[in-house]
Amino acid sequence: MSITYLEAIREAQARALKDDPRVFIYGQDVGAFGGAFKATKNLAKEFPGRVLDSPISEDAMMGLAVGAAIEGLRPIIEMQFADFSTVGFNQIVNQAATLFWRTNVPCPVTVRLPCGGTSGSGPFHSQMMEAIYAHYPGLIVLTPATVEDAYSMLLEAVAIDDPVIFCEHKFLYYHLKADKLPDTALPVGKARIAREGRDLTIVTYSAMVHECVAAANELASEGWQIEVVDLRSVKPLDTDTVIASVARTGRLLCVGEAWPWGGVTAEVIARVASEGYELLDAPPQRLNARNTPVPYHPNLWTAHRPTARAVVSAARKLLRT
Amino acid sequence: MLETVPGLPAGDATALGREKAVLAYGFMLRARLLDDKFATLYRAGKIHGGVFLGRGQEALSAAIGVSLRDSDVFAPLIRDAAGRLAFGEPIVDAVRNYLGSALGPMRGRDGNVHRGYPREGLLPMISHLGAMISVVNGVLFARRLKGQTGMVGVATLGEGGTSTGAFHEALNQASIEKLPLVMVVANNQFAYSTPNSRQFACDNLADRALGYGMGAHNVDGTSLPDCLATIGQAVETARNGGGPQLVVASLLRLCGHGEHDDAGYIDPKLKASPLGRDCLKLAEEYLLSQKLADAAQLAVWRSQVVGEIEEAVNQVQREPTPDPFTEKWTALSSPHLNEMHDEI
Amino acid sequence: MPQVPIIMPQLGESIAEAAIINYLVKPGDTIEAGQDLIEVETNKATMTVTAPCTGRVTNFSAQLNESYIVGAVLGQIEATAEEAARLGFDEAPPVKPVDPDQDPDHLPEIISGSRVEPTVRGLPVPANAVGASYISPRLKARMHELGLSAADLAGIAGSGAAGRVTVQDFEKFMVHLEHQKTSQASSMRVAVADAMRRSWTRPLATVGLPVTLDPLLTHRKTRDPKPGPALYALRALALALSENSAPAGRLVGSKIVLPSSIDVGFAVEAEDGVLVPVLRGADKKPLAELVVRYNELVELARQRKLPGDATGGSVATVTNFGTFGLVWATPIPLPEQTIVLGMGAGRRMPHWDEAKGQFVPVMEAYLTLSFDHRVLDGGAAGRLLQRIAALMQKPEAL
Repeated sequence: MSITYLEAIREAQARALKDDPRVFIYGQDVGAFGGAFKATKNLAKEFPGRVLDSPISEDAMMGLAVGAAIEGLRPIIEMQFADFSTVGFNQIVNQAATLFWRTNVPCPVTVRLPCGGTSGSGPFHSQMMEAIYAHYPGLIVLTPATVEDAYSMLLEAVAIDDPVIFCEHKFLYYHLKADKLPDTALPVGKARIAREGRDLTIVTYSAMVHECVAAANELASEGWQIEVVDLRSVKPLDTDTVIASVARTGRLLCVGEAWPWGGVTAEVIARVASEGYELLDAPPQRLNARNTPVPYHPNLWTAHRPTARAVVSAARKLLRT
Repeated sequence: MLETVPGLPAGDATALGREKAVLAYGFMLRARLLDDKFATLYRAGKIHGGVFLGRGQEALSAAIGVSLRDSDVFAPLIRDAAGRLAFGEPIVDAVRNYLGSALGPMRGRDGNVHRGYPREGLLPMISHLGAMISVVNGVLFARRLKGQTGMVGVATLGEGGTSTGAFHEALNQASIEKLPLVMVVANNQFAYSTPNSRQFACDNLADRALGYGMGAHNVDGTSLPDCLATIGQAVETARNGGGPQLVVASLLRLCGHGEHDDAGYIDPKLKASPLGRDCLKLAEEYLLSQKLADAAQLAVWRSQVVGEIEEAVNQVQREPTPDPFTEKWTALSSPHLNEMHDEI
Repeated sequence: MPQVPIIMPQLGESIAEAAIINYLVKPGDTIEAGQDLIEVETNKATMTVTAPCTGRVTNFSAQLNESYIVGAVLGQIEATAEEAARLGFDEAPPVKPVDPDQDPDHLPEIISGSRVEPTVRGLPVPANAVGASYISPRLKARMHELGLSAADLAGIAGSGAAGRVTVQDFEKFMVHLEHQKTSQASSMRVAVADAMRRSWTRPLATVGLPVTLDPLLTHRKTRDPKPGPALYALRALALALSENSAPAGRLVGSKIVLPSSIDVGFAVEAEDGVLVPVLRGADKKPLAELVVRYNELVELARQRKLPGDATGGSVATVTNFGTFGLVWATPIPLPEQTIVLGMGAGRRMPHWDEAKGQFVPVMEAYLTLSFDHRVLDGGAAGRLLQRIAALMQKPEAL
């Protein structure tokens, strides 16, 4: 038996609904239809009255979730695409993220954002939103890169008493497979060493983990041992694991699919520069998507986001610096 | 939760019949005198940030408060001091939030009208207009999911807030879910300085109810008995499964947007029109005409409320203010997920 | 079977790259560890790259007549797992299979190898982080730990971009030092080294002028105690500076700090270093008075017993390198001074005597003035030196 990243998300929701009567799912087309990507397939049937279609109203979806959280429920909101969460942005960052701080009443809302690019999706169905949400105090931002993490981190997200922005990558939905669901998992807030090395640390997250591991394997044939750190959660960010890795390698390359300005890669470099400056043997570098909206055509799309090939060339340059 | 003032009736408003008017009047009077006190403290430099008064809207707001039960939900806006008090907010907490007491409901983290007790059904507003309505929906939705019945949620808004997408999304959502929501719009003719002619183009905002599938109600917001009747009816309709209700009250804001605003843009003709009548004065005339009180009684009540407010202000001024050194400086309820890098 | 890369070795102290000139084996050949594989040419010699292990040559990725930097991969050898493990090339961890149909992005990469890009080496490098003078934070921290400064890297040929010294180069150098004979530098040596390093941060220049010594040699015979020639020069310098102290001014930011008192130091060689005692107010005291103090200070310096008030705070220094038989030198001013006056060994030189119509022997020595070119230009330095030479021609006035 094998299970995909998307199925793991569905299974995590099924288990959350089964284990905790406080959980319900609300989002566009999530009911009988099973969601635009089928992440809630059959859940409406299995859990009647707890998996509900919402109108196309991201603001009201999030407001409803906050109200339900105040009443002690644990809503899971599916944004059909991460890009559309901007319509509900006000409720996420001003209502959900501030509620506990203002009132001491926790706000256990999980917002699922199908994020990131797939070929042909264009500027409004491909965005990476983690940096913009991580900017706000009061939010947890998760970016699982593996089938196992998609499952265990979504379950943990639902259990966390604070609003969680769960960035699930659409590119991984169908490709990524595992033999079975995990029994154990690293907790949220701990990064994972996806591949060990000694010459260069690549810090990355979400779908870029796979591009970076592929790049590291290619560089291994040239004799370079590249360490790849999968952040798993961008907020909280596991600075300790990153610094420890840089201490081993002396070189840092940060790779993110999001835009460069003020993002996760910038944050990682800022922390290493201020806390681990004397570990660096070369100026830290980063690789991001190009600074334009995400293009539609495959020729442009593949050149817009970082790829294994781009990571190899950036890493090679940094290794020679 | 209702506070009592000697001489003013207290208790379950629904059971009081004619005395409901007296009960509502008590909260109107408290709100008016409390607002006046805040304006004085503001001009004396005792209040950080703004002061936003509800002068002219007390009848509408108090009518909401006395129509609700403890188990209901209320998301008030900035001109709802009367409704908050009637719903059960202690005067002292209103004072604490304005003076930034560490013992206040928001502990100095938010101020003035931004206060509430979410778990007790009084939702603390954020500044973004229309944003609280779907939160009320969520509370009602969750209670229904938990099997609770018989509750009502009220959200209030000025006519300016009806122009937001959030207002539209939330009313549509409430109607789809057939939630017991009562949306009360105080059409006070100005959103800050913007007149209705630049805010909406329909004849009557209540007509929008049809588009959502809500019940529609219009009311003269200056008249306490009318407000009590209309709000009472809308609340009971929603409570009894009649679906969401939209109430539009016509009145005039008898003050600036905040105490920093002299409202020089309000046409004097409008002030002289029936909309410009003071609802508190009208309520007193109503009590006298109905023989629910005489002039001497009104004077006694007024001096009692003044004493009550003075006592609260005196108490709060002796209370500690928030301490940045003991403040936790975290926005998360999960301590293990805090990032400590921002320690100063 | 694991692949072991064939790496361009370090072919000498300052060699950073070499060109491939000949392959001595072919792909598919079985080879022994240590066997010659490739002939390469550096700018100094032709050498060979040898096999790191026993195995079979898979391929050569390097191209003939191209240059590759030290450490570049030149090809691959298929070796047994044990051989590879011994060299630290374990088998790569399994790669998650990626469906090439689903993913147009995972096209096979054409490995460009490590061919040297001509723009990187041998051409001017912009003064940014990849320049030859760049010292990474990690290297800086390591040097700090060992008490070393940037000047200590001068002997290391860097293998990093644009020839920068990497941590690996540095550690190799430190290991290399362990095999050398070393001695502990004295604290005096370290202090001089530090002063010279600081002084050298400025643009320094030197001018020189021959000066006739006969008048002062005649004069000194009449004195008791006899002043040395350098003391005449010192006194002449002091008088010249009292007329115009600007040449001894120090540049700090956009201000010239002028001397408040003409205190002049003079270099005295001590064991393993140089001491600089100071004559205070040298412009105010006649030679006869200065000579007594001068002799006292020389003796104290040699005994390393200089009192605190006799060192530091001077505005210029005189150094008599003529005592070592040298006729010309370019001394370095102290870091806190703008000028240093040097005096070479006296030599008998033929001078044309117009009156006699013949060459006559004259005792002559070079005076040199080294100066901070930020403060002085050649003209001002020359004028000061001319004035000193003129004053030395009238020793009785000193």
